[in-house]
Amino acid sequence: MPRPPFFPAFRSAFRFSGLALFACLGPSVCADDVVPDGAALEFFEKNVRPILVKHCYECHAAGEVNGGLRLDSRAGVMTGGDTGPSLVAGEPDQSLLIEAVRYKNRDLQMPPQKALTTAQIGVLEKWVAMGAPDPRIEAPDVADSGSAGMSTAEGRNFWSFRPVSNPPVPDVSDESWVRNPIDAFVLAQLEARGLRPAPAADKRTLIRRITYNLIGLPPTPEEVAAFLADDSEDAYNKVMERLLQSPHYGVRWGRHWLDVARYADSNGLDENLAFGLAWRYRDYVVDAFNNDKPFDRFMVEQLAGDLLPEANQETRTATSFLVLGAKVLAEPDMEKLVMDTVDEQLDTTGKAFLGMTFGCVRCHDHKFDPLTHADYYALAAIFKSTRTFAETRTGVIKHWHQHSFATEEDKAKLKEIDAEIAKKKSAASSFKSKAIGRLREAARARATEYLVAATKFEPSAPLAVVEAIAAPLELHPRILHHTRLHLEYNQDDPFFSQWHSLVAAGDADGVDKHFRTVFAEAEAAYVAAQKMDPPQKTLTDVRLRTAREALYDLSGFLAVPPKVEFAFDEKTLAEYYQLEDEARILESNAPDEPAAMGVGEQTILASLPIHIRGSHLNLGNPVAREFPEVMRTSTVRPVFPAGQSGRLEFARWMSSTQHPLSARVFVNRVWGWHFGRGIVGTTENFGQLGDRPSHPELLDWLARRFMESGWSVKDQHRLILSSSAYQMASVHPAEQRSSAAAANLIEVNPIEVNPIEGDPENLLLWKFRLQRLEAEQIRDSVLAVSGRLDMAIGGKTVPLRNRQFVFNHTSKDHTKYDSLRRALYLPVIRNNVYSLFSQFDFPDPTMPTGHRSSTVVAPQALLMMNSDLVMDSASSMASMLLDRGRDNTERVQMAYARTVGRPPSAGETQRAIAFVGELTSQSIGATGVDEAGKRQAWSAFCQSLFASNEFIYVR
Amino acid sequence: MFSGPDLRTRRQLLKTSAVGFGHVAMSALLGKESLGGTEQSAAPSPSAPQISHVAARAKRVVFLFMKGGPSHVDTFDPKPLLTRDNGKPLPFDLPRITFGTQGNLLKSPWKFQRYGESGLPVSELFPHVAQHVDDLCVLRSVHGTNPAHGGALLKLHTGTDQFVRPSMGSWVIYGLGTENQNLPAFVTICPTLAHGGVNNWGAAFLPAHCQGTPIGNASLAAANATVKHIQNDRISSAAQRRQLDLIRAMNQDHLEVTGRDQALEGRLNSFELAFRMQSAMPEVQNLSSETVATQKLYGMDDAVTEDFGRQCLMARRLLERDVRFVQVTHSDSEVQWDQHSNLYHGHTKNSSEVDKPIAGFLTDLKARGLLDDTLVLWGGEFGRTPTAQGTNGRDHNPHGFTMWMAGGGVKGGYAYGATDDYGYYAAENKMHVNDLHATLLHLLGLNHERLTFRYASRDFRLTDVAGKVAEDILA
Repeated sequence: MPRPPFFPAFRSAFRFSGLALFACLGPSVCADDVVPDGAALEFFEKNVRPILVKHCYECHAAGEVNGGLRLDSRAGVMTGGDTGPSLVAGEPDQSLLIEAVRYKNRDLQMPPQKALTTAQIGVLEKWVAMGAPDPRIEAPDVADSGSAGMSTAEGRNFWSFRPVSNPPVPDVSDESWVRNPIDAFVLAQLEARGLRPAPAADKRTLIRRITYNLIGLPPTPEEVAAFLADDSEDAYNKVMERLLQSPHYGVRWGRHWLDVARYADSNGLDENLAFGLAWRYRDYVVDAFNNDKPFDRFMVEQLAGDLLPEANQETRTATSFLVLGAKVLAEPDMEKLVMDTVDEQLDTTGKAFLGMTFGCVRCHDHKFDPLTHADYYALAAIFKSTRTFAETRTGVIKHWHQHSFATEEDKAKLKEIDAEIAKKKSAASSFKSKAIGRLREAARARATEYLVAATKFEPSAPLAVVEAIAAPLELHPRILHHTRLHLEYNQDDPFFSQWHSLVAAGDADGVDKHFRTVFAEAEAAYVAAQKMDPPQKTLTDVRLRTAREALYDLSGFLAVPPKVEFAFDEKTLAEYYQLEDEARILESNAPDEPAAMGVGEQTILASLPIHIRGSHLNLGNPVAREFPEVMRTSTVRPVFPAGQSGRLEFARWMSSTQHPLSARVFVNRVWGWHFGRGIVGTTENFGQLGDRPSHPELLDWLARRFMESGWSVKDQHRLILSSSAYQMASVHPAEQRSSAAAANLIEVNPIEVNPIEGDPENLLLWKFRLQRLEAEQIRDSVLAVSGRLDMAIGGKTVPLRNRQFVFNHTSKDHTKYDSLRRALYLPVIRNNVYSLFSQFDFPDPTMPTGHRSSTVVAPQALLMMNSDLVMDSASSMASMLLDRGRDNTERVQMAYARTVGRPPSAGETQRAIAFVGELTSQSIGATGVDEAGKRQAWSAFCQSLFASNEFIYVR
Repeated sequence: MFSGPDLRTRRQLLKTSAVGFGHVAMSALLGKESLGGTEQSAAPSPSAPQISHVAARAKRVVFLFMKGGPSHVDTFDPKPLLTRDNGKPLPFDLPRITFGTQGNLLKSPWKFQRYGESGLPVSELFPHVAQHVDDLCVLRSVHGTNPAHGGALLKLHTGTDQFVRPSMGSWVIYGLGTENQNLPAFVTICPTLAHGGVNNWGAAFLPAHCQGTPIGNASLAAANATVKHIQNDRISSAAQRRQLDLIRAMNQDHLEVTGRDQALEGRLNSFELAFRMQSAMPEVQNLSSETVATQKLYGMDDAVTEDFGRQCLMARRLLERDVRFVQVTHSDSEVQWDQHSNLYHGHTKNSSEVDKPIAGFLTDLKARGLLDDTLVLWGGEFGRTPTAQGTNGRDHNPHGFTMWMAGGGVKGGYAYGATDDYGYYAAENKMHVNDLHATLLHLLGLNHERLTFRYASRDFRLTDVAGKVAEDILA
């Protein structure tokens, strides 16, 4: 804000020395040197201070410094807050403080709860005009900057911003345990703490673990048997390679990435429109994993695939990553929407690839990490130059940007289809308006009868009473009910005054006579007026004109209920719903334009002003496009093209092998998806508030190996899966010993550290973590073991056309989850995620999630006990057992082999047979053993296996 | 990723706790996160609220949500100048962003009358609720949602229109836990799936047990609304009991192999809770066990009020069983209160559907002594403009509107705050949505600045970085 000279005002209010005059080059300098004169002081003390104390200090004084502004000292007033100096001495009209209290600017009103009185505002205006005399020159307490953040220099020494090192593989005592360097890193830390790793897991456990881990399904009984029978040294490797080559590897690992990419098939948030093309991105991700696309390339394609010199359909599709976020599509403030979207993109990109919470820097410097407000807007300039919204919209709902791959022929065809849908839709709506029109006409034709019938009940009468009156007269009960209410609410309407007085006199016939006459006269007059030359549209007779207006007022005494359920009779309603359904189904099944969601380029901004407090209405200094200072890989600064957003440069910088974060963050994710916990537990936060790595050298070693391998994800798997660390049992002998010791059964060797006490969280990996199956695996397993799973890969599966409403204003849920394809292919509907998913901790599809939680809540049990999915599957499996098993013992064996991959013990077999027998006998009919009852009993048994912990948890 | 600050202490406590697993299991059942596996969060124990800072005035909340935005100037905020200046232009600026195009001032078609000892005015739309005016604390200066439905619903329910954040009900459950062992702590009856949908009762990153459990949704009649998967008509209850015993036996065997694990043990018991919930929920929903007089009180004998009456009565039955947060939604298959046109017709119909049930609900709560410690909140996602849209409608107005509270520690017969002379902007004692949330939490004994949850390494609050308790309304 330009600062006008303030000497004149200053002179009038202050007694000053010459020295002070020359020192006063800026307001904040003034404060310390000047003492106001007595009158000014008195004015301040008497009038100004009380206002400030009473109305401002609560939020703008030591302790609570909102907006960075303190009004409890002269220095605070003059320095101002985030928006700059709060006043210009002598210039009320140029002072923010005055602007705020005047309450004229809707975006700057103080105090926020209530405007000051005119007198109070006058005092403050006068005070500022006087030059803002203020005796409060005592040095204020050190202002709380509110920042516990790191400087950039400190940041460069923080572990995650240091370059990826090349740590030597450590020496260990027990070399026999070391299959590859991973084991050396793990064992070295265990040995340093006096801990020993758990023994190797048995083969059954191992094949179940690796099969779920790589393809998300249980091993078949045949696969288990083959692995048990294979005594060769590379038996395990063969299983691993088989699984890595399976197309279902991409289904499982692609899903991991979709968690990070907050993938969904609908927008969610305010207006839930279908992302009918998101599946192309989903399939792109699955293919990328199956084809072992180098991760650096994967990163570049998702952020800037449209800008690559060799850009093609695949790379453009990859940029869906930036468009998939949930957006407030009906936000009327477009500028806010754009900046909210930029924020979402930055935050997601930061968390997904860099383990950084950029979202925290939108309003201020990062409170903890070395990221500045300027860093944020330097990146925001790149994303604001990126096009995320299309030019088109549906009503108030903005469309997101897409890359079309349609040919002219496709486009012509689409036009036809769109026209067909529009036709169907208008058929439904014209049916509705015609039917309503007929109702209105019918009511008008019997207007007098409605008014007469309305004399027979009180306005408070329940609808049932009204219905009893309406039925014999064949009047519409809800219109009649409304007529009565309308009369009640419009008692002072002169047209109806006659009705009220006649009713008061008990003269229902009089009502009939009066209104029948006036309506008939009015209609006749109208017909006559129409015949005149020229025809008259309005009647000159006020009485008759009013009668006609009352008759034709759509919200008048004959108003038809707007809700179709209330307006239409059953048959009309059914017909209307039928037409609506036809339109909806036609639209749902109509082909989409061959296109993919994705970003393009927008007007290029070489710089963007800092948005003070994150508000697009409060702009500060512009900053040029740049990368966050603390992560810069070179002191030589990149040149951003004038004609492009700079996303490509941004993506290339991120995928550079010099970047401290990209490789670390991703290998940590991979590690976590194998072991159930990352080396850094907070997979999306490598900052100060995130966890520190449990194995920092191992993390760097893995990151380096990853980059050396050409960012090959599958090589990373091979390395991890072949380690002893991965192949450990999930129970440690010391645990069993310690529970025995606790019961005083055995003595414990005091030298060996008990891992449960030494490392209760198992951070150092002394055993494998027991892991609950994820939502998709639970569902797919239940279907797989009951022989119902459809293993098809890829293609559009969301049963909605692109941009179709999932829910419009209605809450009718048309989304079906009864497809038998793998869970990856079920629709992910934001705002209404499939209940099985949401109960079993499917991540919120609006936030990047690298690690799912694992809760135990009662609704999960309800789902296992009562859902169709589980019961239908149990029933299928029961039929299979009954068909294929020769006797009950064999059936129990088959069931155990299919579900938990092992034979049952004799006791278990006995227990199962007893259970089935008991349940069968409950349903024995007169004719002996009922086949249906038998199947139901076996079904209940299979369901119990699905619900058992052994099925749901992988050891 | 979840790592509550007192995680370690809590875990140690559990390990050394003399109560042992029994107690922990109970909390796990009630939906607390398991303590085994890898994910935990520091959820407070159900019986001992940990974040209670001030004396609680209310133990439960019921939110009567009027979807679409009821007009304040036609219900609880009379504006004589609006009547006087009908048809004239608004004498000050419209907001920078408006949802639709607005014309000149439109007077209210309804008359207001003073009621009760307090003499607070209520319009003809709510003659029954008006009888309770001395129990109402009318908040006339609420503001700060969003000009569009979706954004406004989200802001009202979660405090933000931009992100997916926990809903206010979830925060309450997170802060106070639950006192009912057989029912979910947070229930939402016939909620709308549009405009934010599940997010409006979701727990987001809070522990799973904090999420609301929906009974039906807005497209279903309350009489047909049920909790998902609560019934099983393929297998008898006796057979299912036998099945749970088998699962328990299998799981016991499995524990021998895995060693003790709290998640596994918690899961054993989650089936028992589910089994109990199966009988408890239908029992709550069985309104025929209420007397005819009670059903009538809620308007269940009249087709107009039957549906909402049913919802309110269900709400009372849940509250009485110590379900902590209950939301009742008045929404049809359109956006119920959204009268961009035909204000007269729409609002008449809407109020006639809810007026009597709400009045009956208040009468009943009072008669049963529940009103003292139950906070009732009424309102929509915004109000409506005093200016006309078309000839006879009103546009969305998030800049100043009315909600009301009753019971649970608020002053009755009291009007708080004010809008300007025409009812466009909140003007006095302005109550931002953040302030509303802060006040609501305060009434429950929770300090909104200290009710935080660490997620993705940041401490989150319902009120984010704002919020001020409206001390004036505390009884």
